[in-house]
Amino acid sequence: MNINLILGIFILKGWDWVGREKSPLAALSWRSPSSSVAPCRALHTTISRRGLDEFFDLPENWGETTVKSGAPWTAKQLRTKSNEDLHKLWYVLLKEKNLLLTLEQEAKRQRVPMSSPERIRKVERSMIRLETVVNERESALRMLQTGQEKARPGAWRRDKFGHVYWYRFKEYAIPWYMNRRYKRKSFFTPKFVQPHIRLRLEKYLRQRARKTSLERRTQSKLKEKFPHANISAS
Amino acid sequence: LTKRYPLYQLGNPQLRIFRPNWFLTLVRPGKEQPPDTVQFRIPMEMTKYDVKNYLEKIYDVPVGAIRTRIQFGSNKKRNHLHQKVKQPDYKVAYVQLAQGQTFTFPDIFPEKELKHEEGSMEEMQEKFMEDEKQRQRLDPRRGGVTEWFGL
Repeated sequence: MNINLILGIFILKGWDWVGREKSPLAALSWRSPSSSVAPCRALHTTISRRGLDEFFDLPENWGETTVKSGAPWTAKQLRTKSNEDLHKLWYVLLKEKNLLLTLEQEAKRQRVPMSSPERIRKVERSMIRLETVVNERESALRMLQTGQEKARPGAWRRDKFGHVYWYRFKEYAIPWYMNRRYKRKSFFTPKFVQPHIRLRLEKYLRQRARKTSLERRTQSKLKEKFPHANISAS
Repeated sequence: LTKRYPLYQLGNPQLRIFRPNWFLTLVRPGKEQPPDTVQFRIPMEMTKYDVKNYLEKIYDVPVGAIRTRIQFGSNKKRNHLHQKVKQPDYKVAYVQLAQGQTFTFPDIFPEKELKHEEGSMEEMQEKFMEDEKQRQRLDPRRGGVTEWFGL
């Protein structure tokens, strides 16, 4: 089943990061022209449209052993940015990651060490944090508008072994009573599993008791040996 | 964690994806390709239409024809425990550019003169090695004749 997708990019063409002197990893701070800063002209940057050259670094950096790059974006920094900025930053990070992946593959091909491979992890982390920030905002909006905590509906269900877990619903084209594979699943615990559940519970409680008693024993031994020492926080 | 996109049924609106989580890798072709063909490694979930829209919207690259295939990653090699080790499968896309554009894969690792900074450890070591080699060499005035021959 193909997903015919049209990517919803808005206002991307109107902005791109300034040249390549500042990589997307440095925390950029730009202000809108109508802020309370001392008189400065609105900054206009030309969009860099280099087509397939965007899969490669600037020619000066070809063959270098180390390429300087800044720190990854933190969630705190990202939370200060607007939605449009986050959207654009996502694509900036995406293109940077594509660039680094092509570089990695070419380095493997030529049997040459890749220059500063930590950049890929930095970009990955930035993207993950961006995703969390966007999800936070979306979740807050959904809570306010509809009162639903989770985007994907689900329910608490039991499995055959007596575990209670959050079952997340999946989207189907047919109702559940027409779905043969779904009907074979059982979301209940049979009666003969009850002894096993009790034994499992007993094992868990025994382990917990052993852990606490061990801690108590070690603490008392330490107190005996070093009576004037501080009681450790752990 | 794969995203679950809404199910498509007849009459649904066109699915739009914000912030796609798909990364393309431009690779050097193993076999000789026509000048307008670019070779990519794409994630398994992408289709030809996805790649076309991706390149056109994000990279502004005019795309003509696209062909994809799935490369099977070998499961033949074994590790020190004699267990089979699977190399991951990947999808390859051959993209032909429209409007008569051509693309050659550039040489990203050219030979560069390694110049150490002044006063660093590496520079001193280099100098020392150079001096040692100079001592080993014979007198240039002898014109390559070895010391075995008298005079």
